[in-house]
Amino acid sequence: MIFREVEDRDLIAKARQGHVDAYNALVSRWEKRVFNYLLRLVGHREDALDLSQDVFLKAYQNLKKLDDPARFPAWLFRIAHNEAFSLLRKTRPEGELAVEPSTGGSSARMFPMELNLAVKSALGRLSDDQREAVLLKVYQGFKFEEMAEILACPVSTVKSRVYTALDLLKQTLAPVNMGGAE
Amino acid sequence: MNCSPEDVKAYFLDELAAPERALVEAHTRSCSNCREELERLNVTEKALLSLEDEEPARKIAFVSDKVFEPRWYQKLWRSGPALGFASAALVAAAILVHAYARPPAAPNVDTAQIERRIERDVNARLEGAVARAVSETMAREDQKIAGALTAAEKRYEFQRQTDLAAAQQTIAYYEKKMNRWLVASNEDTRTGQ
Repeated sequence: MIFREVEDRDLIAKARQGHVDAYNALVSRWEKRVFNYLLRLVGHREDALDLSQDVFLKAYQNLKKLDDPARFPAWLFRIAHNEAFSLLRKTRPEGELAVEPSTGGSSARMFPMELNLAVKSALGRLSDDQREAVLLKVYQGFKFEEMAEILACPVSTVKSRVYTALDLLKQTLAPVNMGGAE
Repeated sequence: MNCSPEDVKAYFLDELAAPERALVEAHTRSCSNCREELERLNVTEKALLSLEDEEPARKIAFVSDKVFEPRWYQKLWRSGPALGFASAALVAAAILVHAYARPPAAPNVDTAQIERRIERDVNARLEGAVARAVSETMAREDQKIAGALTAAEKRYEFQRQTDLAAAQQTIAYYEKKMNRWLVASNEDTRTGQ
């Protein structure tokens, strides 16, 4: 992890000097994470791919404004967040669900494909803000402080979104009477 | 420690400092509700992480664009050896230019002679300028006098014509008066006869 951070910092320094190849290397490291974050947020592959492209282009154009290269991940996801919500505001009215709700059931007893659908459905039942909080916390592993930076909101708001989202997800994926849970 | 779902979640999400973690761990050992809460969070996370990341359909890559490429001087500035070489080449070029392009040494000159020549030139130009100025002034004065003479002659002629006309009118008046007087005297003579 330390090596990875040092290498990212080095690539950022080179990219800032105009080395496109260094930036492409940086993109190849982060594109999968950014793409999947966007995909689970907007729920559409082509949109997620277009957004990913925009995110990395904007990041390249603004790389010199990044004060501390160690903050690159949070800074990159801040751009991704802005791009995603810009699209969501345009395409989806406030509060509309991205995925149809499912009937629910304990994830511990589901087959892989069934579980996959249940997870997607459960994520789809969350609001955009809650889903994004889960994506950043559970899938991307950001700390609350970093999430507050990405989402430009107080840490207390971040905590509230994550905790509420986890409670809602639990109801579907780990109901109280799950019994045979691992 | 009492049951605190927030603390359990924060513990689960690795957002607690070491002392608080120890407190939650001690509490969950004796609290079945909080243990169950932790277990449900584990199951939920495991379910969420069962979603595998997808590969983007096409790789994102950027090609070199002149807009973003550093300018030649930026590249030069960033390159230490190149900058050193360029500086050395610049100094060498300056020495060569100085050696081949400097002006020839000035020969010995008689400055007194030059001063006399300059003085002569200046005097000649000054005299010429004064003569031109005097002749122009005289010409202007002659022109003014000629104009004044012409105007005086005109005024004299006009006065003379005016006086002549007045004298002629006076003569005519007295002639008429004389005629009337002669006629009157002839009539008196005829009636007196």
